[in-house]
Amino acid sequence: AEGPATLVADRVELQRGDLLVATGAVEVLYQGSRLRAARVSYDGTAGTLAIEGPIVLTEAGGGTIVLADAGELSSDLREGLLQSARMVLDRQLQIAAAELRRVGGRYTQASRVVASSCRVCAGSETPLWEIRARRVIHDAEERQIYFQNAEFRIAGLPVAWLPRLRMPDPTLERATGFLMPVMRSTSGLGFGIGTPYFIRLGDTRDVTLYPFLSTKGARAFGLRYRQAFANGEIELTGTTAHDGLVPGQRGHATAAGRFDLGRGYVLRFDAETVSDRGYLADYGLSDTDRLESRVSVGRIRRDEYVMARLVHFHSIREGEANNSLPAVVGDVDLRRRFALPRGMGVLGLRLQGGGYSASQQVAGAGLRRLTIEADWRRDWLLPGGLLAAAELRASADYYRYGLGSGALGRSARVETPAAMAELRWPWARGRADGGVEVIEPVAQLVWSRSHIQGTVPNEDSRLLEFDEGNLFAFNRFPGAERREQGTRLNLGLGYSRLTGEGLSFGGLVGRVLRADDRGQFTRASGLGGARSDWLVSMFVSTPGGLAVQGRVAFDDQVELSRSELRLRLERSRYGLATAWVWAAADAAEDRLRETSEWVVDGRWQMSSTWAARVSGRYDLAADRATEAGLGLEFANECLRVDLSLSRRFTSSTSVRASTDFGLSVDLVGFGAGSAAGPAGRACRG
Amino acid sequence: CGFAPAYGPGGAGAALHGAVRMAEPRDENAWELVVRLEERLGRAAAPRYALDYTVTTEKIGAGITPSRAITRYTMTGAATFRLTESATGTVVAEGRVEGFTGWSATGSTVATLTAEEDARVRLMRILADRIVTRLLATGAA
Amino acid sequence: QGIDFNGLQHDSTQPIEITAERLEVSQTDGTALFSGEVLVVQGEARMTAGSLRVTYATDSRRIDRMEATGGVTFVTPTDAAEAQGAVYAVPAGELVMTGEVLLTQGRSAIAGDRLVVDLDAGTGRVEGRVRTVLQPRDGTGRD
Repeated sequence: AEGPATLVADRVELQRGDLLVATGAVEVLYQGSRLRAARVSYDGTAGTLAIEGPIVLTEAGGGTIVLADAGELSSDLREGLLQSARMVLDRQLQIAAAELRRVGGRYTQASRVVASSCRVCAGSETPLWEIRARRVIHDAEERQIYFQNAEFRIAGLPVAWLPRLRMPDPTLERATGFLMPVMRSTSGLGFGIGTPYFIRLGDTRDVTLYPFLSTKGARAFGLRYRQAFANGEIELTGTTAHDGLVPGQRGHATAAGRFDLGRGYVLRFDAETVSDRGYLADYGLSDTDRLESRVSVGRIRRDEYVMARLVHFHSIREGEANNSLPAVVGDVDLRRRFALPRGMGVLGLRLQGGGYSASQQVAGAGLRRLTIEADWRRDWLLPGGLLAAAELRASADYYRYGLGSGALGRSARVETPAAMAELRWPWARGRADGGVEVIEPVAQLVWSRSHIQGTVPNEDSRLLEFDEGNLFAFNRFPGAERREQGTRLNLGLGYSRLTGEGLSFGGLVGRVLRADDRGQFTRASGLGGARSDWLVSMFVSTPGGLAVQGRVAFDDQVELSRSELRLRLERSRYGLATAWVWAAADAAEDRLRETSEWVVDGRWQMSSTWAARVSGRYDLAADRATEAGLGLEFANECLRVDLSLSRRFTSSTSVRASTDFGLSVDLVGFGAGSAAGPAGRACRG
Repeated sequence: CGFAPAYGPGGAGAALHGAVRMAEPRDENAWELVVRLEERLGRAAAPRYALDYTVTTEKIGAGITPSRAITRYTMTGAATFRLTESATGTVVAEGRVEGFTGWSATGSTVATLTAEEDARVRLMRILADRIVTRLLATGAA
Repeated sequence: QGIDFNGLQHDSTQPIEITAERLEVSQTDGTALFSGEVLVVQGEARMTAGSLRVTYATDSRRIDRMEATGGVTFVTPTDAAEAQGAVYAVPAGELVMTGEVLLTQGRSAIAGDRLVVDLDAGTGRVEGRVRTVLQPRDGTGRD
């Protein structure tokens, strides 16, 4: 042992025979480890410390603390024996033993052991769970704990017995071994247990295996592989299953990754595939109804946007045939912006090429499009606080698409010049309480007219929306195949108030007045007619944690086209998030029945350890529940139990109504996985 | 009644217009946010202020039919912003704004894809507009 | 190996020699005050001090007690102890040093506020916030 240990005490007696007896707040320090005791006698010749408790031995870094009544240690505190000791790892896991032997400063052997991370109160000696073992060895270097003849007890009752058991100590992040089992019962699969097993492959790779068996004969196996590279990472997952629900082998696979290609370019990919429509729902893997696989390479910097992208769709939606949908969409999008000198405004150039594979509308090889667009915008500060802005835009779209058997037989060309003039006149006022108010009227006149040669199918511009985001927009069609036509006046009045105490609320009212009704828009979008619907939006957020946002669009007869209200309340003891979404029925938007749905998600922290969750989704139009869920969570300093019950009322040929029950138990203190909850009940008395 | 034009003499708008440099965008959200912020606050030839921001969005399925089809989506977004005076580094204004947009998923895959992208652009414009309104309100002068 | 007091073991019955620059003898209480470079020699042990008050036994021939102040060192062939002050009760063979006591012995050292040594038995005690180094025995320890 190199280097001397230092001893500090109130009194040191030097006796014959090379014996030094220290008493009164004795401390022995050796390279970061610190021993505190009532009495220490140091035998100079043997180099050993005989110690009388209460002993507190703290390892370097404070990770491990050993408490004992008496013992004998080498002067470097690395070897020796402690009686009736308690070893506390990472302030969580406690190993109590009649005898604790320290070997080489690395191993700690304990005999007649009780290990638990639960608080043991003086009154009641039995912790919530404990592992009793004849012998336990803790390897501080490998950070593993080896139990021999281990008996697992819950509330004092022996539940399981294992001749050998190895568990990671609380500080170990990635250790090969079994993770906590997860129990899941569903109507379709019956009661099942999954026992994930994690395999660490060095510092940059790992594999997690996930076998799952259930009472109704479901046998499933999952695998997740992760690898980190110097310039990126990938994650591959896959599951395969054989169950009574669908004959034959079922499964799904996903691959995701991200790589820095240098000079700011990033490659991203995210792909998924599944064997049959109901698989993801049956195994609770995801709620998606259309699988979207993407790969993209691009770079985004100031004034420069470069992105190449390919997207593949696979619908698992009931009654939606994949051959009727364009499965592949791809495009390259280059955008540059230039600030013109002497405040002459900003010039934007865009070149976009791409297309999609065949669909119901476009046969053969689908559609290809090249779009060239130039945009110039400039503003002026006018006297009286008026802010004026003008914008010119010209775009040219060139189409080639298939019709009937012709692969790319048809072509079309669309040139669309557009111009805009805008006036803003915001007024601000300070309030007595230190708050501020802003009122902002805005008027915008827009003109645009497309010159169309040939006919252009409409696949990408069918789903219209009307909100504050496009009240003052040049073109409200989402895609390129349709561009907004005619002369229109966009009017809006915004109000916003921020009080001294941090309450903020506000809103906007807007409308679009058109010179003529060209029937460009669907009725349910709210944009139809010579005069669009009234657009009214509001938001409120209070320092107390309440945030409400809403938007509604209705015509002069107060017929709603769209409406959405979102409320969120965050308090320490409880939280509530609820939303109401409403959209009018409109065949042009393939919505034959109005959408009216109410969603609620509540959380209530009943006590420091118990929390309840409730969630629900109700289809007001069909007047029936879609989903309901209950969750109960217990978390204290040594145990996390998560119970969840959810009911899915939907039913279709491929996706059955199902009740899912999930239970996961996690012993805190083994492995650095789950964080401990607040300490449970304080020891009374 | 105490109201004064924000772009009038001494107003916050006049002080900020053409004087704010936005933090460099690194992803789709930031690109659209900066485009709209520059439309509202002008391009800064000689910037006196720097505007930093972070944007988070969440895509939430809605309008779920009895056969589990997701017919509508809502994208909620939140942006935190901080306006500092470049020379001194003092924080002139900071805060957090929220917004949401929605789109239908009843159409084909291409129609839903462009509807989602348009919803993202609109959400960034809403967040940018609300940031500018807060800047006009808190008064940079 | 640690500190011990074999080195301080010392026959306190040996004759004591005291030298100093000045000496004042007080008839009234039978004490003598040495001052200026005081040196006390007893056998192999030496003690230096700023000033030394010596009180004699009633038959005023043998030294009963010495009180040294003004920075004291007590040195034997193997050990050295220093402190601000010291009291040596000669017949009892007890040396008490107080004030920033530092006892060194080869490579070992022990520091504290107060050192009490039984010179005849070669045992001692250090008190106050005592600090010492537990030098691991590496074969060169003094026997």
